[in-house]
Amino acid sequence: MTHNAVIVGGNRIPFTKAGGRYADASNHDLLTAALDGLVARFGLSGQRLGEVAGGAVLKHPRDFNLTREAVLSSALSPDTPACDLQQACGTSLETTVYIANKIALGQIESGIACGVDSASDAPITVSDGLKKALLKASRARSVGERAKAFAAIRPRHLAPLAPGVAEPRTGLSMGEHQALTTEAWGVTREEQDEIAAASHHNLAAAWDDGFFDDLVTPYLGVARDTILRPDTSVEKLARLKPAFGGPEGTMTAGNSTALSDGAASVFLASESYARENKLPMLARVVDAEVAAVDHPGGADLLLGPVAAAGRLLERQGLTLDDFALIEIHEAFASTVAATLKAWNDEDFCRARGLSGPIGTFDHSKLNVAGSSLAAGHPFAATGARIVPTLAKLLHAKGPGSRGLISMCAAGGQGIVAIVEAV
Amino acid sequence: MSAIEKIFTSAPGRAVASKAGLKDPPQLRRGRTWPQGAIVLADLNGSTVGRETLVLLGRSFDSPIIDSEDGDAPGYGAKIGAIVVDATTLTTIADLEKMRAVLRPAVRALEGSGRVVILARPAAGDWEQRSVTRALDGINRTVAKELRKGATSTLLYVDHDATPSDLLSTMGFALQGRSAFVDGQTWQVSAADTNVNQLHDTPLDGRTIVVTGAARGIGAAIARSLAQAGAHILAIDIPPAGEALAEVANEIGGTALQLDITADDAGTKIADHIAFRGLKLYGIVHNAGITRDKMLVNTDKARWDSVLDVNLAAQMRINEVLLARRGDGGIEDGGRIIGVASTSGLAGNKGQTNYAASKAGVAGLVQAMAPDLADRAITVNAVAPGFIETEMTGKIPFVQREIFRRSNSLSQGGQPIDVAETIGYFLDPASQGVNGQVVRVCGQNLVGA
Amino acid sequence: MRPKLGGCLIIVNTKTLESVPGMGAGFARALIPSRASQARMPQHDLRVADVKQDVGRLADYCRVTGFTLRNHVPPTWLHVLTFPLQVHLLGDKDASVRLAGAIHVSNTMTLHRPVSSQDVLELGVGTTDLRPHRKGALVDLTSRVRVDGEVAWEGVSTYLAQGMSTPGEVEERERTPFTPVTPQARWRLSASLGREYRRVSGDPNPIHTSRIAARGFGFPRPIIHGMWTHARALAALEGQLTDSYTAQVDFLKPIFLPGTVGMVSQRNAEGINVDVTDKRGEKAHLRMQVRPHG
Repeated sequence: MTHNAVIVGGNRIPFTKAGGRYADASNHDLLTAALDGLVARFGLSGQRLGEVAGGAVLKHPRDFNLTREAVLSSALSPDTPACDLQQACGTSLETTVYIANKIALGQIESGIACGVDSASDAPITVSDGLKKALLKASRARSVGERAKAFAAIRPRHLAPLAPGVAEPRTGLSMGEHQALTTEAWGVTREEQDEIAAASHHNLAAAWDDGFFDDLVTPYLGVARDTILRPDTSVEKLARLKPAFGGPEGTMTAGNSTALSDGAASVFLASESYARENKLPMLARVVDAEVAAVDHPGGADLLLGPVAAAGRLLERQGLTLDDFALIEIHEAFASTVAATLKAWNDEDFCRARGLSGPIGTFDHSKLNVAGSSLAAGHPFAATGARIVPTLAKLLHAKGPGSRGLISMCAAGGQGIVAIVEAV
Repeated sequence: MSAIEKIFTSAPGRAVASKAGLKDPPQLRRGRTWPQGAIVLADLNGSTVGRETLVLLGRSFDSPIIDSEDGDAPGYGAKIGAIVVDATTLTTIADLEKMRAVLRPAVRALEGSGRVVILARPAAGDWEQRSVTRALDGINRTVAKELRKGATSTLLYVDHDATPSDLLSTMGFALQGRSAFVDGQTWQVSAADTNVNQLHDTPLDGRTIVVTGAARGIGAAIARSLAQAGAHILAIDIPPAGEALAEVANEIGGTALQLDITADDAGTKIADHIAFRGLKLYGIVHNAGITRDKMLVNTDKARWDSVLDVNLAAQMRINEVLLARRGDGGIEDGGRIIGVASTSGLAGNKGQTNYAASKAGVAGLVQAMAPDLADRAITVNAVAPGFIETEMTGKIPFVQREIFRRSNSLSQGGQPIDVAETIGYFLDPASQGVNGQVVRVCGQNLVGA
Repeated sequence: MRPKLGGCLIIVNTKTLESVPGMGAGFARALIPSRASQARMPQHDLRVADVKQDVGRLADYCRVTGFTLRNHVPPTWLHVLTFPLQVHLLGDKDASVRLAGAIHVSNTMTLHRPVSSQDVLELGVGTTDLRPHRKGALVDLTSRVRVDGEVAWEGVSTYLAQGMSTPGEVEERERTPFTPVTPQARWRLSASLGREYRRVSGDPNPIHTSRIAARGFGFPRPIIHGMWTHARALAALEGQLTDSYTAQVDFLKPIFLPGTVGMVSQRNAEGINVDVTDKRGEKAHLRMQVRPHG
């Protein structure tokens, strides 16, 4: 027996740049804050839910049971079970699918999908002393301040082993991988800077409209995303130096996501549970697909979701025209640009086993409330940022409006999902 | 902290203050507690409404001791908890002496946090009768000032047609600890076909109530207190206060809604939220308020506009929407609207022209709305807090603060819960006969009317 | 249950400090055991205004004691903030009761309203109630935290100055006898916990970190700070705590480091009781009563 899994709503905390206002907060703290805001929004205090699924990409050994521990610290009933899942940057879209599937199968009636990451509290295998000194140095405003921060480093702080930021099989960082894709697909600097500027402008407009009033709860005195630059422009972005792809590279700090801290959550329920408990229903989770590419074999690392999108649309018998809104996660602006090109590339799509190109669509439907370039990208939290945002936008467009989410993830993977307004 | 405050709060400072007559204020009886000693009922001229109401409340009562016309005043022998004087049939100036005769021994015997409750009829009849009605108000205010150790006095004008059922919740409130900081006040109870025969500890069970400005201070206390009375609270505050708001909502099992009440669509958003959640809205408490204090000569348009908009215009706009959307997220028939005025508004307060305007406006608004909504059985009332210990009053300079704090008949500042309890009393379904009233929660401020 | 404040009739005055005192002479003196036999305490209060909280240190404090870092800070954190003032007072030249050698026997703190990590605080500390005890003299150090002029938190730390005397009658306090329990939880306290808590609390007392210092005071091994155990016990109730409550704690037996203890909490009509016991639940190290207000 299958049940409709509906998105009731969501909550996240404002996202910040790593080393910023949440520098001292742990994954546990951030996730608990996101859950508590969700509990308050839907009056769930003391209630037992079916399950909470969450995860983090950068995880301390002490966080082996991160989500369950956060549930215990939250206002939810301690009788609420939880599990940790991880699929790199796709984590909290994957947890959304996991909870939705359990609801669809009738195994649970309600659940929370969530994700969190703190690049500030990354499990660097060096001492806290070094971490602190480095953070302090990175925040320093002057050479003197920076020198003072470094002077605090003692030999005992210098234990070895930095974390693996590169793809284990290629030794390339994600930015370096994307630089290869950028060049291969001929993505220009202007295309990228336009995507970045639009992301900031769309996100700023959504904040100004109060769109996030029922999607975000402040934490530690932070009430808005701090990476957001409402006044940025293509001109301003054009002045930045390349960060990836060598001196001739087109990828900059402005059109790549910043290392971020944050947490996000989605509240899902069966339609009957939502009705009985007088909960709103924004959209239902229709279907999802994951895919992966052979990036050690030379495939574009971040174009994993293309195959997933194609297979999902074919299974559902849908085309891009059937979607009112589309969300493509902005790992880098050039990921979005390359994805759009790949969707319309017959050879590429056929090579992925699809029957033809996925096609094109009116770009005014894309990331209309901003995306990761402006909001920031705490890896495992991004899916749970996108899902409620899209569900709310679709709900406003009216029942039956469809939305498509495409997210790339490390390891050459991609996850894609369809939601439809109720 | 100012130098004066340091001296004042230090031990020698306190010792001096104590000699100067500034004793530690009495601890007030609070909550749903009855007076400890006996309740004495003086039903003058054979009035019956007071007696019947006490019976309905399930309180036993004793006969009064009447002061003789000459010689020594007789005593009660033990402390009494309260005296209820049913003066609903007093009509002549000569009759007023009976008030003196029952109150003299009773006031002397009244326990700490005891109660004087006087029942009278609203002004009517001939010249003398109307004069007598007003005379009772003078008696009430003065007795309140003379009472000690946290005892209070209340005068209730009871409509001719009001039944003991109509009076039940008001009499219960006046006698219980819930009215701890309501002193020397006068308000009216009308006939309203109230169909209740007992007080409930959780009168708001299953009812949804909106509280604005609920993230902290008095608003948080209101939300908490109403939740204890059984209500489901929709707690509203501005988005930047969202974290504190969520903490309040989660503590009381309520729901948080981050919303700027001055937005044009605030009322619609509230109604949409209620409708979306499949709830029925019973009441709203317009608690959100701001101060932008300056002497009038320094008050610019921005300071004026923001205070008037948040404190007065916003709630009027929201009320209009919630009243229009009956059955669709709006206030249901039989519902409640509560305004929060201020003694600053009723009496005026230096440096607060804008605030006083907005808060007096709230009092005017509830009085204007009440009769118009009577056919829908919606009551509209306001509390007018005096000096309540909160973060906002914490910003007042120390000397002024200490003067405000002590300048009332109870020699202390009130607590947020005192405001919350009065609001809970208005919201009680049993308070149907209380409409268009502005009740001060000020410990009988010496300043102002 | 509310802490008694300001009950004394001694003539005192208030010294306002520019900032929270550091590891200065006051600290050093506070650590030197006193030879005096008569218990004396300075007769002034200390205040510091405009104290901003260090969220980084708060985060560390939460990590060491088991709290989640939230907007609202743990009440035991407010104790930590007022602690340097207590030490400063105990290090005063007029004080014969010193931090070293004084035993923290009980603590009562009342949270009147939540305090945010963003709030700017005014801290105040004073002494009241010097009174005799079977084993010496008891002194209450009272602390207050104000936010915007309003008292948000009050604490009373009661120290026993062993072997000292002070005039008055010994007041015997009745305690509910402890009956053995089956612990609900077991906490393993690492050997470095004393150093970790010293880092976040600033409590420099070496009996928590040094075996030699501990031996000097008759303990075989370092003992964990009582206020760590207090904080850890309160953190265990996370989610059950309200916005305003009083927590009263008796420190009965020291906990040696490293070590393993048991914990049991029980909810009743009045509030929540917590006992931190030995591993088997046979003896109590700390007993706490939490009573919510209104």
